[in-house]
Amino acid sequence: MSPAEAMSTKEQEKATVAHRDLRGFMETLEAQGQLMQVHDELLPEPDVRGYMRAASQMENDGPAIVFDNIKGYRGQKLLINTHGSWANTALLFGMPKKTVLIDQFHDLSKKWDRYPGEVKWVKNAACQENVVDASINLYEMLPLVRINPFDGGYFLSKASVISKDITDPDNFDAQNIGMYRLQVQGPDTIGLQALAFHDMGIHLIKAEELNKPLPVAVCLGAPPVVSMMACSCLEYSQSEYKMAGALSGHPLEVAKALTSDLDIPAWSEIVLEGYVIPRQRFPEGPFGEFPGSYSGVRGQNRIKITKVTHRTKPIMETLYIGRPWTEHDTIDGLATSITLYKQLKASMPEVAAVNAVFNHGLSVIISTRNRFGGYAKSVAFRLASTPHGISYAKNIILVDEDVNPFDFTSVMTALSTRVRADKDVAIITNTPGMPLDPSSDPPGMGNKLIIDATTPAPPDTMLREVRMVDAVPSAENAAELIRRFQEGFAAHKG
Amino acid sequence: MMCVRCYEDTATRVANAPDGSNDWEVYYCQRCNFSWRSTEEPEVIDPEKREAYFQLKGVDLDTLLHPVPIPPLKPGIKL
Repeated sequence: MSPAEAMSTKEQEKATVAHRDLRGFMETLEAQGQLMQVHDELLPEPDVRGYMRAASQMENDGPAIVFDNIKGYRGQKLLINTHGSWANTALLFGMPKKTVLIDQFHDLSKKWDRYPGEVKWVKNAACQENVVDASINLYEMLPLVRINPFDGGYFLSKASVISKDITDPDNFDAQNIGMYRLQVQGPDTIGLQALAFHDMGIHLIKAEELNKPLPVAVCLGAPPVVSMMACSCLEYSQSEYKMAGALSGHPLEVAKALTSDLDIPAWSEIVLEGYVIPRQRFPEGPFGEFPGSYSGVRGQNRIKITKVTHRTKPIMETLYIGRPWTEHDTIDGLATSITLYKQLKASMPEVAAVNAVFNHGLSVIISTRNRFGGYAKSVAFRLASTPHGISYAKNIILVDEDVNPFDFTSVMTALSTRVRADKDVAIITNTPGMPLDPSSDPPGMGNKLIIDATTPAPPDTMLREVRMVDAVPSAENAAELIRRFQEGFAAHKG
Repeated sequence: MMCVRCYEDTATRVANAPDGSNDWEVYYCQRCNFSWRSTEEPEVIDPEKREAYFQLKGVDLDTLLHPVPIPPLKPGIKL
């Protein structure tokens, strides 16, 4: 029995009810040794950057960190690395913090199927306890830090941006919650990069075709499940709020924004309300992006902020993104993996699991039954034709269904013992690429690399006749006994 | 004052440390949209020490690439 299965569904849901807001999740993290409080006096730059880099590099168990003594911002709280390790993602969904990734994947995958979850509208929302609509100065209201030394300014790197299609305003499911990079450009304006293939890109085009401002709400310190959904690549007509409700097992509480008809997470710490200025572009960037390189300076959209609401003593949240490995990888890794898995599984039920945690799915490992000769390669083609896979999935590795795609040793063993390059490696040239990938040249063009490391199936033949060593069924029980011995020893020593 | 990135006289002070400590000020260039804090590292805020690759001296900002092009107006819609 996996650790995730060892907790009852009821126990898990009890834990996730407490995570309806960032503060509840911070309590869980603190109780589990996953929240570090830094009271030392720090400079915004470069001191905070050092903590951000160090914590997010601890992929398995890096803690969240809260600062309350940043020079010039004394008394304001800044939280980082909330979703910055697999321990934290496990705790978010009520799993033990050492739950391995394959178990987290299957647990979340089951909860994913509860879609649509419930959404509940509330009045007197916590995020609207305080209202500011004059003298807005984001440089002073928010503890801002320059994330990478050559970023073009102070970026809001962990903001859930909400928008609607202004030609279809009553379509709740098409309302979008996305995490886009935002550059503070003056006291009450923000640069926005939402690209054409993003769902918000659709809303932007429709508003600009009509020369109308597009209302937006920028939520900082959103409920942690909402932040994770804002990074996922759900279909356009799927509601991030309903998926957040499905994953957490309780209704997602939203409220109406004060300046528009948008629905905002009621328990957000801070909400910046405003609109995108239509048909104008402003210099934005550079920004240290997820592939580890700076993007250029480009002409991008701009948001004008007209109202700020916040909880009393709000907690600002940001994440480190830049030189990989970063919180960007852990906040979107599982959601990206499961989204792709569901899309593949719908037409290819042989697919067992998908690991797309590497750089937003630029490299993907799929475990699948190779139903007949060459079938695994067809699974790769299917991945390359999913909305996300078209431009992202450039390195695709196929392994057998009994190989854990999240386990590096198992994947390397499959590559070592199943691949003969002349027949198992394929390169498809001149395909779409991800423009921010520094190897995409010209930006937006690329190749697909497919490595089939599955066991050949008829009518294909094994290279020569061999007998494979079978799995050892009794090892599973023994592994559990060994794990208990280790935990008991650690507890005794502790 | 001069912007440390585009070298034009288009920057102004936009913020002081909000805790009243006077620990720093923030400056912002209305032309190239660069922001910087007075306490940042010299290689970030000193134009002499900033890497040339990241500077915008003499760059025509009206010719920047638009990753999301401005779409044509719908029929009957005016600017």
